[in-house]
Amino acid sequence: MIRREVAIVGIGQTTYAKALPSTAWQLAIEAVLAACADAGVDVADVDGMCRFSAPFEPVTEAMLVRALGIRELSWFSQAPHGGEALGAVVMHAAAAVRAGLASTVVVYRALSQSKGGRFGRADSRGPGGAGAGGANDPAASIVVPEQDNLSFAWPYGLMSPGQLFALWARRYAAVNGLTDEQLVQTLGTIAITQRAFANRNPAAMMRERKLDWEAYLAGRMISEPLRLFDLCLENDGACAFVITSAQRAVDLCDDPVYVLSATQTLAPYREPMGIYVPGDLLELFPPAAAERLFEQAGVTQADIDVAEFYDATSYMPLRSLESYGFAPDGEGWRYVLEHGTGPDSPLPVNTHGGHLSEAYLHGMNGILEAVRQLRGTSANQVQNAEVALVGAPAGSATILAR
Amino acid sequence: MAVIPGSTELTAPYWEAAREGRLVVQQCQSCRQVWHPPLPSCPHCHSASLGWHGTTGAGTVYTYTIVRHPTHFAFAGKIPYVIALVELAEGPRLVTGITGCAPEDIRVGLPVRVVFREVADGVTLPYFEPSNG
Repeated sequence: MIRREVAIVGIGQTTYAKALPSTAWQLAIEAVLAACADAGVDVADVDGMCRFSAPFEPVTEAMLVRALGIRELSWFSQAPHGGEALGAVVMHAAAAVRAGLASTVVVYRALSQSKGGRFGRADSRGPGGAGAGGANDPAASIVVPEQDNLSFAWPYGLMSPGQLFALWARRYAAVNGLTDEQLVQTLGTIAITQRAFANRNPAAMMRERKLDWEAYLAGRMISEPLRLFDLCLENDGACAFVITSAQRAVDLCDDPVYVLSATQTLAPYREPMGIYVPGDLLELFPPAAAERLFEQAGVTQADIDVAEFYDATSYMPLRSLESYGFAPDGEGWRYVLEHGTGPDSPLPVNTHGGHLSEAYLHGMNGILEAVRQLRGTSANQVQNAEVALVGAPAGSATILAR
Repeated sequence: MAVIPGSTELTAPYWEAAREGRLVVQQCQSCRQVWHPPLPSCPHCHSASLGWHGTTGAGTVYTYTIVRHPTHFAFAGKIPYVIALVELAEGPRLVTGITGCAPEDIRVGLPVRVVFREVADGVTLPYFEPSNG
């Protein structure tokens, strides 16, 4: 059990922007140094690291150990599955601290999408991507090597997370009887609410850009039913946090943020974007994972003051409201239309603006925002926030508390 | 420009069948269960004795999206195009495209049947079109 035995004692981030001059390596260094400074620990004393595994995280722990002059890591680990690593990296780091394998663990995520590998452009990564050639030869074919069933998807033009989640959103609407208009209202409410949060967040990429219904609806259709503002940003940036034991945390700072629980989960085809989920496609998330998350934390949904849901698309917070038990299955859209997800709603969601409007950091910026909420330092502070949930749509999540 | 499937020893029979105008799914020779995409052993009884089951090619649209903004230059000239998840009468679902009707006429639950499209020399992909009841 992790409950209150470990804590996040430092957070750090770079500027988030569409394109930064720094490399991912430089961004990771900046974020890690900021997190260590915030925690009041000497970076040389860091003895553990946890990160997203390849192909997601471009900066290895070896690169950071070298560049930061860290004496020795006694433990380091990686978690796969992109955004579904967000709870896993907390879980791994917390378990290592609990087991005494490391005392000061840094978790980080750096992205430099401006320099290649844009998630929304399949031709900036993978087959036919940069370096593959053939872009100007209409007779050439691009061969998709078989890996994780991509050879069954790419030939049909199914290549991006946005397209995949459009399939989920369409199924959601059909199964739950939403009209096209109700689906637009639901997704638009989420996107517009998150933009308003971002407008008050000085770190958000979209802080100056208002989004009203007229502008939302004017956004071009990308992959129906998802339009431009239903999709996340692409950007450069990095963030990091420091995890240590609860005992050490109280010596380091006045405002440790305790880890109550953290989950990872895997069942057949329930890895992220597992389109071949047996049974109901909408049950990407194994329900047992949410039960575990709350049971191990010792709290219920009613205790959660604020949630930061992984949002590569606006559909994901909608379904997460159901998966994590804040609304009954199939009723999340009614909940959103009735209560919204804004500052005055029962559960403010993505108070930093989320991936749609703050920046895309693969869920890690959601963890940083949860820490700010629990410290009482968020730009969109939820009054007396004591417990926060950060969760991805397929069940990797963490519950944090002050 | 076509984007075509590479194959492995495991997946090659699927594409060879498509080239011959047949839509097949993997089948366990012990417990007779069928599934897609291919696996090296039966997920139900763990038998390694596997074969290929010829489907009727009939199914329904489980979900779909109309892509209006390409994410790869190879599809830039093809928008709008439809990606669908089709549930075969035999049970398994597969990622495919819908042809033979206006994208706006597609609905979840629409009955469809397989058609075969040669997208490059010697490369055939199963697509689906409305089966008109």
